Amino acid sequence: MKLSAQSKIGVGVLAAIMVIGFCAYVFQLTQGLCVTGMSNGVSWGLYITCFMFFVGLSAGGLIVASSAHVFGIESFKRVSMPAVITSTVCILCAGAFILIDLGGIQRIWNMFIHLNFTSPLAWDMCVITTYLVINVLDIIWLRRGDERKVKMLSYVALPVAILVHSVTAWIFGLEIAKEGWYSAIMAPIFVASACDSGLALLMVVLAAVRKAGVFDCGSELFANLARLLATFIAVDAFFIGCELLTTAYPGTEGASHVLGIMTSGATAPFFWFEILGGLLIPFVLLASAKRRERTGVVVAASALVMCGVFCKRVWLLFTSFTVTNVYGAPGISSGSTAARGADGFDMWALAGSYMPQPVEFAVVAAVVSFCILGIALLSKKLVAKA
Amino acid sequence: MTKLAIGINLDRCIGCHTCANACKMQNNVPDGMLWNRVITEGCDAIDGAVGEYPNLTRTYVPLACQHCENPACLKVCPTGATYKDEQGRVEIDYDRCIGCRMCMAACPFNARVFNWEDPQRDGDFNWGDARVPVRTRGVMEKCTLCKERTDAGEEPMCVVCCPTHARVFGDLDDPNSELAQLRATKGKDVHILLEEKGTKPQVFYFDE
Repeated sequence: MKLSAQSKIGVGVLAAIMVIGFCAYVFQLTQGLCVTGMSNGVSWGLYITCFMFFVGLSAGGLIVASSAHVFGIESFKRVSMPAVITSTVCILCAGAFILIDLGGIQRIWNMFIHLNFTSPLAWDMCVITTYLVINVLDIIWLRRGDERKVKMLSYVALPVAILVHSVTAWIFGLEIAKEGWYSAIMAPIFVASACDSGLALLMVVLAAVRKAGVFDCGSELFANLARLLATFIAVDAFFIGCELLTTAYPGTEGASHVLGIMTSGATAPFFWFEILGGLLIPFVLLASAKRRERTGVVVAASALVMCGVFCKRVWLLFTSFTVTNVYGAPGISSGSTAARGADGFDMWALAGSYMPQPVEFAVVAAVVSFCILGIALLSKKLVAKA
Repeated sequence: MTKLAIGINLDRCIGCHTCANACKMQNNVPDGMLWNRVITEGCDAIDGAVGEYPNLTRTYVPLACQHCENPACLKVCPTGATYKDEQGRVEIDYDRCIGCRMCMAACPFNARVFNWEDPQRDGDFNWGDARVPVRTRGVMEKCTLCKERTDAGEEPMCVVCCPTHARVFGDLDDPNSELAQLRATKGKDVHILLEEKGTKPQVFYFDE
């Protein structure tokens, strides 16, 4: 594989970020999760946000690729390979985030000998593993051009891709403890946001490989995919609207509290960015056939969709951690003297709070770099010149 | 069956936090966390009051693991580290805990605390009952209903140390126990925390 000077610099930068992130992770392993901003109040943070985000990016890719074969959409088959590549790399990143987030990874073998099948996290391990195997097989068979096997695999891949993100949703949606999570529409919302963010990533990748001269899917297909993306955005917006209306309408105290934090409290910037920047603006951009033909507009809309879905993960996760069901001073103990600078009475908090720490940013940057590098190198190696 | 639990008399609780400290001492609970804490209900300051002068009320709610009959934390634990034992207590097998914190998100009472760092203790040594296992970094912990004491037929330390005898320990499945009778006879004066969540707490609160 020959790389231009520019690419070499790019690879070098990404590799450097990965090395820094790896060191940060080793540091976290030696110190414990106290080097993160998490505490007993907000017990999941940036890692789990990214986990949700990457599962979505991954599922979207495979849903598009396998739909092409299941529903016999001939033109979509041309982007199968890039779609499966993004899907594979993103699910590796998602799995990595779950492992990075574990406080006792040295006891991980308990997941194999004592697996408790009532836990959504157990389902997640099984379904992500299955999903990864499907992705790898898909790449192998696509590469060999074994159309029959790819088609057969697609019938399994499509439901598993939908399931992988549903299970991720159930990690949150089945928790009766959290007002903002416990909802039957959580899985459909996650699948919808997987479809739009995953397809958006695929659009960006397609634009990038075209620019790099590796593969050109053709402007007609590109515009068609952009139209599909607009549809996915609309479905996502519809589900989110349903959820908000159902939460808001009864006007219960708990729901009002959660909505208050979302619309005008700590998570409000993320909520409004998602509604405006992640749904409304990209939908308007992609709604016109003329604008869909301009690569720049489509890439911008796709980037907005991905940012919007990331913001959605943020407000979904943290809004519910902010409130406690049993309210009263002194509140919750932080549990971490080092991370939160919490000494004496400062260990108490009435509401959960969280700010990601440098270690978390370094680790996330490293995984994102891995993702970019993985997609770029695999695309260069596996996607045929067209 | 045995169903060990605690009943707390809210009219007797004076908010002295002795139970919280007794628990911390007994169970070697590290800095920055408590298994049992006393909440001034609905207030943003300890010992505050609810309402408007002169119609003020103040309720202290000692809060720890509710040892639910239908524990949300147990179902979500991927390794079965959280379990319901034959005495009806919700316990944690520390060797199995992988620190994923599913249970922490699932508990409606914020009863669980996590070892985010190597446990820190004032004086740098372990204290409390030698029978209590020492937890390490990356492990979840919470009220065990003083497993080591109750296994030996003793009462939990919070019950022993409460200066107003606000706490009653016993077996809900033994109709002759004081606890089961309180729960049966107090009727409307029995309060279950977050009953609407359906986790069926065994711990209950009652008025004098």
